[in-house]
Amino acid sequence: MSSKKSTQTTQEIAKQASGTLYQKIVHFLFGSWESTQLTFSFLLVILMAVFPFFTKSPYWLGIVVLSAVYAYIGISWNIVSGLTGQLLIAHIIFIALGGYTTIVLLNTYSVSPWIGLLVGGVVAALAGVVIAFITLRYGLKMDYFALFTIALLVALRTLFLKWDYVGGAVGMWVRLKNPSFIKMVFNDKAPYLYIALLLLVIGIIIQYLIYRSKTGKFFIAIREDEDAAAALGVNTPWYKTLSVVIGAAMAGIGGGFYMMYVTFIDPTGVFNLGMNVEIVMAGPIIGGLGSLLGPILGALVNKPIAELVRGYLSEGTSGISLIVYGSFLVTSIMFMPRGLAGLLHNLYQKLSKPVSER
Amino acid sequence: MALLEVENITKRFGGLVAVRDLSLTVDKGEIVALIGPNGAGKTTAFNVIAGYYKADAGKVVYDGVDITRLHPHQICNLGLVRTFQVVRPFRGINVLDNVMVGAFARTNNNKVAQAKAEEVLDFLGMGEEVKRMASGLPIASRKRLEIARALATEPKAILLDETMAGLRPIETDEVIAMVRKMSQSGIAILLVEHVMKVVMSLADRVLVLHHGEKIAEGTPNEVVQDPQVIDAYLGETNVAN
Repeated sequence: MSSKKSTQTTQEIAKQASGTLYQKIVHFLFGSWESTQLTFSFLLVILMAVFPFFTKSPYWLGIVVLSAVYAYIGISWNIVSGLTGQLLIAHIIFIALGGYTTIVLLNTYSVSPWIGLLVGGVVAALAGVVIAFITLRYGLKMDYFALFTIALLVALRTLFLKWDYVGGAVGMWVRLKNPSFIKMVFNDKAPYLYIALLLLVIGIIIQYLIYRSKTGKFFIAIREDEDAAAALGVNTPWYKTLSVVIGAAMAGIGGGFYMMYVTFIDPTGVFNLGMNVEIVMAGPIIGGLGSLLGPILGALVNKPIAELVRGYLSEGTSGISLIVYGSFLVTSIMFMPRGLAGLLHNLYQKLSKPVSER
Repeated sequence: MALLEVENITKRFGGLVAVRDLSLTVDKGEIVALIGPNGAGKTTAFNVIAGYYKADAGKVVYDGVDITRLHPHQICNLGLVRTFQVVRPFRGINVLDNVMVGAFARTNNNKVAQAKAEEVLDFLGMGEEVKRMASGLPIASRKRLEIARALATEPKAILLDETMAGLRPIETDEVIAMVRKMSQSGIAILLVEHVMKVVMSLADRVLVLHHGEKIAEGTPNEVVQDPQVIDAYLGETNVAN
């Protein structure tokens, strides 16, 4: 009797153990909304990574490369505007500065873009410090903060148009002769894709670590109510500056890579609010500003749609593609104020409730 | 020397003097109430003490440190924390995260902050609401959350701005018990309050403000019998009759 009983218990323990292992994995991947978002983010990265095995079409590969870059840049903007709630509209400034730094270093001083990217990040971060300092010094918040960054964008465009050192109105381009790893010039699009995905993975991890930490909680507290955050001991000027600097540095590095990929940069193309909407803002807004998954999900919807609309509709009347793309953005904001990630969050909350409560 | 000493502070908005020459002290474990008709300058005085407004004259000394010119977050880190009259929860995040923001004032560690937040929430009887979004809380819980966040910063003195406003009598009793418990743990409490039941049952001392000036100070019973105070609340005709 006793032996039978003991075997039963062992079986039960074994069953429980396997159950707990399975449960552990499920819990690890989908235990909280945060880890679920992280899991989905990496699934999307893997999806993009296997893409070259299914098609060799440079057109489609190009769209995937830019989707990955947009996702990474979207994350950098999400940290400033989504988590901390600072309306840094003209985020493309940092992308431009990173791009220009990289190409000037490469063309004028023959510095490898691999180093140029990082220097571009530093330059953009310094610009971030300046922007944060000025806006804090003069107490510019919300709409005034947004207007200040837009004014800065216009001023920088004029400066770069007149500045011969960076190519003036003609712009600068990458010399494509003799492709090599060290010059970050490749014949094929796949290497670009894997560099972009590396950046994206780093971006996803940085964003997740910030979100989970004290810093992230303080960022969100500032977004929700700055005065109340200060009352609880949050050094709001410091954390606002920190978020701008992190976002700027990430965007600067992304801008350097974007520059190397599109191989051409000029002031009117890059200090451009229309471009700003497409590269920086559309992705996170469609995907869900302030969520972890939003920028990645949004970029994967935004970039292909922008590209397809441009491809199919630009033959006839010029400008029709912009109308369609703009209408798409407006409707998605109207019907999904919290973005695609918001819809997924609702679904997640329903599924994670016990069956009896559904 | 008392823990919190306010010396002759004055705050003007243009031509209007919102607070004139106000002095008060609050010591460890003491509960001091600040009362007065609407517009008397109670909340302005709070904002000056907590660093949201810069005083035009006078100074605020907390624990031997002159905090008159410090930022709110520096004052909080020294151990003096305030709550808001109109509660200001971080709406988009859950109750636990709200309180953790406060707890992070004393630690950088996630686990320590979470433990502290859970401890405070248990202390205030909100243990079952930790996972709820702050935006979905009823008003009584929001008021409690406001206190919980402040307590999580481990303050030595706390400024409570109309914590009981908008609560039902039963809820008021709960908050009174809560404030008394806080006081017994050695925290100095300065509160602004309209609900006289709260003032009478809690306060060790009462200060009455009228048109920005202190018109009376004493134990609750002394103050409610002061003719000047009755004037301020009910108008002078009442006394004449």
